[in-house]
Amino acid sequence: MPIRSIKPWWLFVAFLSGMVLAMVAEAMLSEDLILDHRNHRLEFSAPRTDFFAGQPMVRLRNAAEVPFVIKTTLFSGKKDHVFTSAADRFIVSFDLWETTDKAYSVVKLAAPRKSVKNLTAKQAQAWCLSQMGLDTTGLSGSEPLWARLEVSAEDPAREGSPLGDSVNSSGINLSILVDIFSRPGSQPPKLLEYPSFTLDQLKSTRGS
Amino acid sequence: MKLAFLITLAAGLPLFGGAADAALTTESPDAASSTNVNARYIIESVNILGSQTKALSRSLRDELRRVVGDNLDSIRLQKLASRIKDELRVAKVKIHVTRGTVPNHVLVNFEVAKKPVDLKVAKFLYDSKQGWSGEASATTYAAGNAFTLGLASDDDAMVERYTGIRAKFERDNLGTDRLGMRFEFDDFHEMWNQATVSQDPSAIYRSRQTFMPEAKVVLIEPLEVDFGVRFARFRLSTPGATTESSNAVVSTLRYHQRWGSGEDLQEQDLEGSYSMDATMHLLHTDANYVRQTAQARYKFRRDRSSVEVSFMAGLTGGETPLFDRFVLGNASMLRGWSKFDLDPVGGSHVVYGSVDYTYRYYQVFYDTGAVWDRPQDRDQKQSVGAGFKKEGFQLAVAFPVGAPRPIPVFYAGMNF
Repeated sequence: MPIRSIKPWWLFVAFLSGMVLAMVAEAMLSEDLILDHRNHRLEFSAPRTDFFAGQPMVRLRNAAEVPFVIKTTLFSGKKDHVFTSAADRFIVSFDLWETTDKAYSVVKLAAPRKSVKNLTAKQAQAWCLSQMGLDTTGLSGSEPLWARLEVSAEDPAREGSPLGDSVNSSGINLSILVDIFSRPGSQPPKLLEYPSFTLDQLKSTRGS
Repeated sequence: MKLAFLITLAAGLPLFGGAADAALTTESPDAASSTNVNARYIIESVNILGSQTKALSRSLRDELRRVVGDNLDSIRLQKLASRIKDELRVAKVKIHVTRGTVPNHVLVNFEVAKKPVDLKVAKFLYDSKQGWSGEASATTYAAGNAFTLGLASDDDAMVERYTGIRAKFERDNLGTDRLGMRFEFDDFHEMWNQATVSQDPSAIYRSRQTFMPEAKVVLIEPLEVDFGVRFARFRLSTPGATTESSNAVVSTLRYHQRWGSGEDLQEQDLEGSYSMDATMHLLHTDANYVRQTAQARYKFRRDRSSVEVSFMAGLTGGETPLFDRFVLGNASMLRGWSKFDLDPVGGSHVVYGSVDYTYRYYQVFYDTGAVWDRPQDRDQKQSVGAGFKKEGFQLAVAFPVGAPRPIPVFYAGMNF
């Protein structure tokens, strides 16, 4: 193709497309954790992440109450400087006799203790995160910030002797020992991070 | 970022809108209210799947009965599952809770999960006088049947060291939980201590095979009786000697009761048995004798302290082959003494008693007993010892009291 046939506005379109692609890529990477800043509070949500999934859901469907520990952290200036953080325990249960999908109940344990009932799984998870906002009083709008959300399910059945029941008065049960050492460790906490941002950026994205 | 915000806003709006539709009324419950929404439902029934309830202690069975009619408490169920697992010594007990047959009721099933193949080290011992002993087995389960194949080399339990295989078939339920059956086949080769050989060379055998079909009947829980026959063949070591047999009708009356379990503050365990093995011409036996054994054991634990008292008495006839004679002076009875110093060929009479006290992992014990053939040979021996004991593991040192050369004996291992 002759060089003179390239129109200048083509270059402009190519540049713009690149920017849009970069924005989409950034959005794709960060959309698991969503931040919102209102009235000096940083609110967290993660609609694409299901932290009930897996073993916690099996226990919930079996009428057990499953404790979740949720921790939110805001870093300022540098990524290793914690500006503020919050942690709380939420007890989730699933109503066996509820015929609709709104069978989940949640109790927030830390004061002020609160509870909600008749939620779907997504609503229950969203409610837990809505209780985990962080106070941003004292932060300037242009200060670089990072945010992190950690969610882990506690399993009381995993507590106890490290060798479990492999050793007892009838001998060493090698099968149980093999099972213990080949068993995956306790489920690691779900960790979501929000890349570098400022409060002004959050305001502008919300305002636009 | 704008696009990101729009996407996230689009994703977030329906979510929060939905929550609003669901009328998220935040309430402040009192501190005593349950955190489980199912706590309002009543337990209709409790079942144990995959095992027999008779293997559980009375206190645990009572607790399981008490749960029925109460409100669902998942923490309580988890504790019960843990106790069932401990008492049945199984890999896992799963809890399944489902809707009941009437509204607002639930059914609770404890499912006992067994491994397809169970590998177990049933005994492992180092004795500073006798050396190593050990036994390991693999058990597989199919349709309520258990098949076990094991290897053993033991220089502790009898006057001989026996090495070989042990195969077993067991079924706990023959139409009813009260009736079970088992077949055992052993094939062992023997090694002998010089003290035994020099005392009675004609009684020494090179190998022995045993086949023992038995039935188990639960008379009235916790009283049960085992009965069957035992066919034993042993090849004598003396030149020109043939294979001899010792075929007997075997029976054991057994009582085992437990009060409390590991998670209770207090726990008691009482076990008693009376066995009689009688050889019969009808079974084409070469040796003729009747062997009787009475044993009792009582254990009391309160918090971290426990006391265990054991007793055994036995009597057998003069033609008894060496594998059926009584032995003291090993890692479990009259610890600290050597069985070859007491009676290198075993005795036809035995009386033994023991007291063990354990605090946490620390153990002290006192053993006393006598093994003899003729009344004038009866000589009561005593020993004391101390050690560490944690579940099956044990490390102990025992001293023979009044021995001409009181050399301590060290024991290390498990389940000896």
